[in-house]
Amino acid sequence: MTLVADRSAERALLRADVSLAAKVLAPNWPLGTFIAVNPLGGLEDKPFGDAIETAAGALGARGTLDLTTYREAHAAGRITSADLLGVLARRHPQALSAPAVGLAGRSVPARELLLADLLEGPVSGPPARGVRTLSEQVDPQIADVIDAQTTKWCAAFLDAGQAGWSMPMRDRGFYAAWRALAPQDRTVPATVRGTLRTLPSRADDAVLEALSVLEVADEHRAEYLRAHLTRLPGWSSHVRWHADQGEDITLVDLLALRLSYERALLDTPVAATADPQPLADRHPTTQARARAAIATFDTAQPKDAEVHAVAQVLDLLPARDRELMWQEAYEGHYRDRLLGALTRPLPERSEARPAAQLVCCIDARSEGLRRQLERLGDYDTLGFAGFFAVAIRYHDLAGGRPSALCPVLLSPRNEVHEVPAPGDEARADRQLAGQRALSGVEDGFHAAKDDLISPFALAEAAGWASGPLAAAKTMAAGPYGALRDRLHRRAAPPAPTVVVPQESFGAQERALVAEATLTMMGLTKDFGRVVVLCGHGSTTENNPYESALACGACGGNAGGPNARTAAAILNGDDVREHLAAKGIAIPQDTWFVAAEHDTASDRVTLLDRHLVPESHHDDVAHLEADLREAGRRLSAERSQTLPGAPSGATPGRAARHVRTRGTDWAQVFPEWGLAGNAAFIVGPRAMTRGLDLGRRCFLHSYEADVDPEGSALETILTAPLVVAQWISCQYYFSTVDPVVHGAGSKTIHNVVGGIGVLAGHDGDLKLGLPWQSVADGTRLVHEPMRLLAAVQAPLERIDEIVARNTILQHLFGNDWVALAAREHPTDPWLRHTPRGWQPWTREDQA
Amino acid sequence: MDHDGLTKMTKIEVVVGGTEVPAVRELIQTSGASGFTSVSGVSGLGHGGYHQGNLLFNERDTLALLITVVPDDRAAGLLAGLRPLLEQASGVMFVSDTYVSRPEYFR
Repeated sequence: MTLVADRSAERALLRADVSLAAKVLAPNWPLGTFIAVNPLGGLEDKPFGDAIETAAGALGARGTLDLTTYREAHAAGRITSADLLGVLARRHPQALSAPAVGLAGRSVPARELLLADLLEGPVSGPPARGVRTLSEQVDPQIADVIDAQTTKWCAAFLDAGQAGWSMPMRDRGFYAAWRALAPQDRTVPATVRGTLRTLPSRADDAVLEALSVLEVADEHRAEYLRAHLTRLPGWSSHVRWHADQGEDITLVDLLALRLSYERALLDTPVAATADPQPLADRHPTTQARARAAIATFDTAQPKDAEVHAVAQVLDLLPARDRELMWQEAYEGHYRDRLLGALTRPLPERSEARPAAQLVCCIDARSEGLRRQLERLGDYDTLGFAGFFAVAIRYHDLAGGRPSALCPVLLSPRNEVHEVPAPGDEARADRQLAGQRALSGVEDGFHAAKDDLISPFALAEAAGWASGPLAAAKTMAAGPYGALRDRLHRRAAPPAPTVVVPQESFGAQERALVAEATLTMMGLTKDFGRVVVLCGHGSTTENNPYESALACGACGGNAGGPNARTAAAILNGDDVREHLAAKGIAIPQDTWFVAAEHDTASDRVTLLDRHLVPESHHDDVAHLEADLREAGRRLSAERSQTLPGAPSGATPGRAARHVRTRGTDWAQVFPEWGLAGNAAFIVGPRAMTRGLDLGRRCFLHSYEADVDPEGSALETILTAPLVVAQWISCQYYFSTVDPVVHGAGSKTIHNVVGGIGVLAGHDGDLKLGLPWQSVADGTRLVHEPMRLLAAVQAPLERIDEIVARNTILQHLFGNDWVALAAREHPTDPWLRHTPRGWQPWTREDQA
Repeated sequence: MDHDGLTKMTKIEVVVGGTEVPAVRELIQTSGASGFTSVSGVSGLGHGGYHQGNLLFNERDTLALLITVVPDDRAAGLLAGLRPLLEQASGVMFVSDTYVSRPEYFR
């Protein structure tokens, strides 16, 4: 009994070690539903600075830009010395108040020495993985073989339908299938196959056995396992996602594979040790920093005493903190200006009933559309998470695989089906028949293309057409896309359809959804005749990352179905009766309309037009015309920053240009997505109306007066803010380390198994965003900054919410998100700190 | 206490953040437990203050309670894995004797 219990404890301890080792890896979703995540999400319980140090050691990943880049930003005025001193005053006040040092006959204050070090001091070396696997130490070629085997077997097992053949015995689970097949794999030597034949039936036992053979000490086991997991962080992160879904592959299985190959390949005694070896410090010594700082004061031959005195000052700012100081200054520069802009006198608000209200997703791209529409008429716009409070699994008319249209923080709660509108069943049948015919042709073409033999026949049969077609797609992407759309519409003319939430949402549930939606965004009175709920998506061609451009609140999908469902709920008589009883009186002549904003083309399409009452046709037609014009102007605005776009184009030309980009299969910059995102603003639109925020801010509408209990604010801070922070971190880390945290250049991407991309034909599954999502050549388009949350609400209410939600304590307390707040528009902005609320800008640093 | 006809076993209750649930679940499942009960969105007062329960749009960042019952001889293994996990993540664990009427369900 003791032996059994001991073995059981060993296995459990191993699994605990694997969980701890995997903290540096976030689950990585499949490409089809790209979910922006904080790659260091498992470390959010640590201060940001500690987390990036941990990741630097484990992954060899950068956590900030390098000093040289910050200094260039300083030279360009993007960061000022005042910004740096402001951060020093907050973070290292003792350094700033250190005594002045005498240098060459003059007294140099500490602030000048610290600035000299930040501006001219020796730079730190790049981060490197602190613990390496034995095979890395002994024979890097063996390490490469282990990686290649990992990639091969993971790609085979996790294939999502792209491969012609599926992995045999897949239904047994990853470890069992691999254990059965690997001994027959002749790409590894016979001796290795012999060892693989002897592996135990349990993956955890295989890991324990290998660790024993490799003589990894118990106290170093978690680190060693981490060294293996971080060799290929992409595959490890993706396996972690599958394991979290309860699927038959876990990190223990993955480690069993890797460690079994390692023990089999390293079959001779090795001189190296599996225990971690200390790395040389990548940061310069204080002495070196002191000498460099002194050199900026024209002191050619400093005395030892001077060097010592300067070093004493610089010691108060550890070298590892310098990049973080620069990062905060970089962020502070932007944040100070943003909060300054939000401090202006509020514009007069018209008392007249608005022409219409447009509720957009909080997505930063919506800010441009809202701003452009507001300039065209008496429109009110609001921001709300683009799933519109309906967490649905959506079955479209075609009956394909349903989509989970909700944030990944939630599981879908309701099934929603798209069905033919009453009386339009025959038209729907025709549409479906056309779609089937079109998809049959496309599937046949792609299947023939991907098969082993048929491409030769395909080339004979269709090669004459494929060449000109490819040329047309490349040289005339716009006309080609328009032609294809026309053909599709002709072959499968769209039929009117509806979604019927009553089928899956109970009456009470519909009422609660409606009440929560309206209360959360503060839209409880002054309704217009038309209220548009506008989801968003992005239509691009030949783009594996299309999902990354869609709506994060809808699980990386377009949000039109959510808007349709929410609009149907809000137009329901019973729902309106319930709302009226709760004091939310929606006028009888108010009609909710669903819409979808295509952020690649700037087109807004009103959905379910056939449901709009005749009494509202004129209102809707007028709104549609203004949305078209707003879209054109937005295209002109966006074209200023899109590589290769015509400069100074008229709105009409710009609109044509952006439409062409979306259909161009060779375009690596279809749009900039959320590049530039930097802040999350919670409050009434009056705070931001009339300001050009440059499509950099998530805007969530909120009226503190209609939320006395704070439940709406709690929901905003614990859900939309969390999703925005994931997006912010994904962009941040993909920018500061495009190799480890980002996906590198799109131009060499190969889609593998429908689950992700490889750079080239082997290696690790790429994580994060491609370089072309954050930069144009060497120019950063995304300024990597952690998110600023600016909230207009009672401070006591915010404190209470933070106190009862650990996630917010981590985000705000550990510097993953900066929080600024004020209760009233005329109050100064305050900064959330561990010591309570402090003035955003201290007078002594202003 | 008289537990005539009942079989003594060990009950392990774990309260952890939602992000830790998959790791705890995997430990339970691979340690020989035949099942577990999971309650998400639990609230309560702990040494870190009050913890909010159900959040309207976030099922991931609230606390979850996982309960499993195992024969006494399997408890030690599971506890050996849970303890280091809970040292590194916020969470608590309660271990107690319990009695079941259908022991075959838990073996």
